Amino acid sequence: MNLFGMLAVSGSALTAERQRAEVVTSNMANMETTRTPEGGPYRRQLVVFRSRRMPQFPALLAGFGNVSARGVRVDQVIADARPPLQRYQPGHPDADAKGYVSYPAVDPVEETADLLGAVRAYELNASAVQSTKTMIQQSLDLLR
Amino acid sequence: MSMIDDPAITALTRFLDVNVFRSELVMSNMANIDTPGYRTRDINFSQEMQRAGGNLEYASFSPVARSVRGLMERPDGNNVSLERESLLLADTQLSFNLGVQLLRDEFKGILSAINSGSGGSGS
Amino acid sequence: MPDPISNLRILPSQSGTSSTVAPREWGFMETLRGAMDQSKELQGTAEAKVAGLLDGSGMDVHTAMIAVEQADLSFQLMMQVRNKIVAAYQEISRMQF
Repeated sequence: MNLFGMLAVSGSALTAERQRAEVVTSNMANMETTRTPEGGPYRRQLVVFRSRRMPQFPALLAGFGNVSARGVRVDQVIADARPPLQRYQPGHPDADAKGYVSYPAVDPVEETADLLGAVRAYELNASAVQSTKTMIQQSLDLLR
Repeated sequence: MSMIDDPAITALTRFLDVNVFRSELVMSNMANIDTPGYRTRDINFSQEMQRAGGNLEYASFSPVARSVRGLMERPDGNNVSLERESLLLADTQLSFNLGVQLLRDEFKGILSAINSGSGGSGS
Repeated sequence: MPDPISNLRILPSQSGTSSTVAPREWGFMETLRGAMDQSKELQGTAEAKVAGLLDGSGMDVHTAMIAVEQADLSFQLMMQVRNKIVAAYQEISRMQF
């Protein structure tokens, strides 16, 4: 249990939120993508977060017990199960027999809100890093 | 010669330990603000300080982290509040700094006691 | 630790047998030894804690700093005790009987 370990916890959150933001921007960039190498339109992606124990420190001299710090990581990046949006565009090269083109089920409002959430969480954990640094420096102040 | 390890120093050290542990919980909460199902954890500060009681050996510092009640829960089960954790982190940091300053004063006082009278015995 | 003052004896009154007197612990010496022992012990503790801090094994920064400060203070104390003893000896040696 120490302040350097907490930098790892905050750092894990910065990484996870950044990955979340990347997925969101990928969704937004591919809103109009009707064809992919796998066939069919782009499928909206989302991240699944999971808390994780940070690596244990060996032989803590102070004799503390279990470390209770929890970091976070992206457990999975999964494809949204939502069906694609259908738009009637008979002249489009990707139109099906009935003239409908399948578009990714990406809602820009939803994605923007998600991105803002990632940014807020990122800022929150960045401020935690600053706090940790300050406390370490204050600890060093104990020496005259 | 126990003035170098006096009760004030031991108590202040424990005070710092509790503050550090609390800030660790807060930062864990912050890291998991988007984790589905994650519950906010905290300590009972005064209880942890009291639990030290007479026995302030470091090895016996085993603080208890508890789930915080009364927090609003989002649909995915997560109840971490950005505002609560931000305020608490700032508060804990100030508290930690207070402990550091008090300890510094304590050390200064001890040093002064050690050196007192050193200029008096002119020989 | 026994009270150093009560162990104090004035050597000059036994000066006639000084060549065969067994070495005797002055109260001052006991005090100094105690200060040295404590200084050594705290120094060891501080070194261990700082090592624990530097090797990333989870030592708190503040705990290590407190230990360093305590080691330093006890060293200062030891030096002061030593200085006082030296000054006391000089004072005594200047006494005329």
